[in-house]
Amino acid sequence: MQKSSLSLSELNRSVRDTIRKNFPDTYWVRAETSDVRRNQNGHCYLEFIEKDPVTQVILARARGMIWANTFQMLSTYFEGETGQPFTSGLKVLVRVSVDFHEIYGFSLNVVDIDPTFTLGEMAKNRLLVLKRLEEEGVLTLNKELTLPELCNRIAVISSPTAAGYEDFCDQLAKNPYGLVFYTKLFPAVMQGEKSEVSIIAALEKIYAYRHLFDAVAIIRGGGATSELNCFDSYLLATHCAQFPLPIVSGIGHERDVTVLDIVSHTRAKTPTAVAEFFVGHVAKSFAELIDLEKRLVAVSRDFLQREKFRLSVLSKEVYHFSTAFMRDQSALIGQTAFRLKHFVNRMIQLLQQQEQQRNLRFRHALEQRLQNEKQTLLVSEQYIRMVSPENILKRGYTITMKAGKIITSAEKLQIDELIETLFWNGKIVSQVKKLKE
Amino acid sequence: MEKLTYSEAKKELEAIVAAIESGELDVDALTEKVKRASELIAFCKEKLTKTDEELQKLLDDID
Repeated sequence: MQKSSLSLSELNRSVRDTIRKNFPDTYWVRAETSDVRRNQNGHCYLEFIEKDPVTQVILARARGMIWANTFQMLSTYFEGETGQPFTSGLKVLVRVSVDFHEIYGFSLNVVDIDPTFTLGEMAKNRLLVLKRLEEEGVLTLNKELTLPELCNRIAVISSPTAAGYEDFCDQLAKNPYGLVFYTKLFPAVMQGEKSEVSIIAALEKIYAYRHLFDAVAIIRGGGATSELNCFDSYLLATHCAQFPLPIVSGIGHERDVTVLDIVSHTRAKTPTAVAEFFVGHVAKSFAELIDLEKRLVAVSRDFLQREKFRLSVLSKEVYHFSTAFMRDQSALIGQTAFRLKHFVNRMIQLLQQQEQQRNLRFRHALEQRLQNEKQTLLVSEQYIRMVSPENILKRGYTITMKAGKIITSAEKLQIDELIETLFWNGKIVSQVKKLKE
Repeated sequence: MEKLTYSEAKKELEAIVAAIESGELDVDALTEKVKRASELIAFCKEKLTKTDEELQKLLDDID
C-alpha cells in the first residue's frame, strides 16, 4: 500500500506558507543575542536565545539576521543610545519578521531595535548582581580596605597596547612632586566576552604577589564607546569585591557606573584620573609630612626661645632674689651694727658713768684726804712755827755756838774762847771770862 | 632606621610633633625627640621620592 507522502520541499513550502499566512506582520520580541557575526557583505547573522532566569537553561533558540543596510543603521543607533556595540550576550528588544526558507529554515529578520530595553535590562542586571553581592555580604568589602598612606606600588590590569595604559604610566611618572611610583602590568583582555575570565586570571596572578603591591588599578583606554557589559559581570565583581588589595577602577566610561566601579575601592573615570588619584593620595601624605616637618622646626624654635626666655627670667629672678637677699642681709647687718653700736655706746656710757662715779668717789676721797692732809699740815705748821728757833728766840731764848757748832753744855767751853750768840734778829761774839759751877 | 613601614614612621612622627607641641617636654627630652623626628622625616621622604631598586627588581622579575 502506497502511503501518501510529501517531498521535503513540498513540506517546507507548506510550512513556509503557513508561517507567512499566520505571521504576516512584524513582531516585537525579547531575546538575548548570541554568536553575533557579520559576513563580508555586511549582513549580520546571529542567534536569539532565551534562558531560564534562574537556571540559565536555554528555553528557546532561533536564528536571526539583519540585512547589511539595516544593520548599518540599527547598530549605529544602538551604540549611540546604549554606549555599547551590538554584540553577543545582550538582552534586546527587536522587531522581527518571521520567515521560513525551504533551504535555510526558520529565521527572524530584524527590522528594528529598541535600545532603551537593553539599557533597562543592563540596569536590571546590574541591580540583580549588586543585590546578590550584597546578600552575600561582599559588596563593600573592597571599599572597607584602607588604602595605605604610601600607596605607590601598583599592579595594573590593562591591555598592554592600550593608550590608556600609557597615559596612566605617564601621569604617574611626571607627577609634579617627584614622588616615586612602581607599576607592574598584568595584561588582560579588556573587551568582549573573554574579558571576564582574563581579568579574573590577572587578579589571581596579582594575588600571588600581593605582598609586593599597595593597590590594583583596572584600567581601559577611553576612545570610542566600547562595551561595558563584562564589567557588570557577577563573577568579576565578586572577585574584585573580595580582593585583599584596594582596587581603583578607571575603565574609561563617563556615563554609566558599572558593577566593577561600584565594588571597587575607588572609581575614577579614566586611566589618567586613576593615576591622578594615586598621585593625589600620596601627595597628600607628602604634604602632611612637610607640614609635620615645618611644625617640628617651628615648635622646636619656639621651645628654645621659650626656654631662653625662661632662663633669662630665671637669671633675672636670681638677680632680684640675690639683690633682695643682699638688701635684706645688709639691712639685717645694718640693724645688727646699729644695735651693736648702740650696745657698745651704752656699754661705753655705762662704763664711763661707772668711771665717773668712781672718779668722783676717788676725787672725793682724794679731796677728803687732801683736806685732812691740809688740816694736819696746818696744825703741823702751827706747831712747827710755834717750836721754830725763830719763835723760841723771839721769846728770849738764844743759841750759843762755838766754831759754827751749837753748844748745849757749859762744860764744853774754856776760858778765853770765843763764842757766838744767836738772837732772833742778829748775833754777837763774846769771850769767856769765867767758868762757874 | 629599624624596619618601619612608612605609615608607622609617619604615625610616630605625628605623635612626636604632638608631644613637642604639648609643651610638656624638658630640654633633654626635646633634643632626643627632635633627633628621632628628623630621622623619621628623612626616612619618609626617602620612601616617597627615592626608587627602591630592590623592589623594582622584584617587580621586574614577575613574568
